[in-house]
Amino acid sequence: MSLNSILPFFSTAVMAWFTVDVFKRYIVRRNPAFLFWAIGLAMFGAGSFAEAYLALAWNKWVFFVWYLFGAALNAAWLGHGTLYLLARKKWRHVVTVFLVAGSLFATYLMQQAMPKLDTTVFTTDKPISEQYGAKALDEGEVAPVAAQTISTTYRGAEVTAVRGLLPLGTSVRLTTPFFNIYGLLTLVGGAIYSAYLFWRKRVMPNRVVANVLIAAGALAIGSASTLTRLGYGQFLYLGELISAVTMFIGFRMAAKPQPDEVVVSSAVPASAD
Amino acid sequence: MATQIDMKSKSHMPKDSLFFEKIVPISLITMGIITLGLILFAASVILGIVHF
Repeated sequence: MSLNSILPFFSTAVMAWFTVDVFKRYIVRRNPAFLFWAIGLAMFGAGSFAEAYLALAWNKWVFFVWYLFGAALNAAWLGHGTLYLLARKKWRHVVTVFLVAGSLFATYLMQQAMPKLDTTVFTTDKPISEQYGAKALDEGEVAPVAAQTISTTYRGAEVTAVRGLLPLGTSVRLTTPFFNIYGLLTLVGGAIYSAYLFWRKRVMPNRVVANVLIAAGALAIGSASTLTRLGYGQFLYLGELISAVTMFIGFRMAAKPQPDEVVVSSAVPASAD
Repeated sequence: MATQIDMKSKSHMPKDSLFFEKIVPISLITMGIITLGLILFAASVILGIVHF
């Protein structure tokens, strides 16, 4: 097992701790933002655990969890928590309906893809992020070393494709950009906007730093996911661990109560009165 | 000697701080640009400009 394959174990542990922490806050404060964050974090943790498992053995339902929760849905649910803090009540409910309906539709599409999985390409020698999706090669493009290729018809043309667990044209893969755009806009955009508001008013420096960390953590996983889609899946697990740790620190900083003022007593010479 | 009560604000940004005056705004702008880039990439996947 490579060092890269061990990283998801650490990410899983961090996300489990993070999820429990956020869920406890939801129990105490009953703010739906914490509930959506907890659901998103639980999805993130489930995805990390699935990665760790798939580094050891194959199981198609673990792959189901990895792709659906780890790759498709978690960013959107995390971002939806941020939306609950920033948007008007009416819009929050409308978007919640869309998010739940979209998530159920993605689950249906993933279920439909399960019988079509090309499981013969699976190996524990490579991280799952490097073997999950088939990719059609452009003209002149060379397949990565040791990649298995296949000639097939795709969108009416004969193409050479790198084989992957999810075959070319699997519908569920089309849903991930929609969820990830929404997740990026709300989670990163929301954190940047919040940091800017505090920064502009010159108040709550801890909230400024906390939101910068949350945005940076979300961008770490967003960038690593994009690199994965471009064929550089080896950075995904590191990106996840950096994301989990950075967002957790940011969340703890934001949640930490800060007194408006502290009284400092100092002894001064009487002549100075 | 007499005791003076000094109110020191902890909920305001320190003045003349390089971190808050320079690093934070540059970080926010940079992250905004990266976010925009990632969103454009995801949109190009949806539009079929980037193949998968």
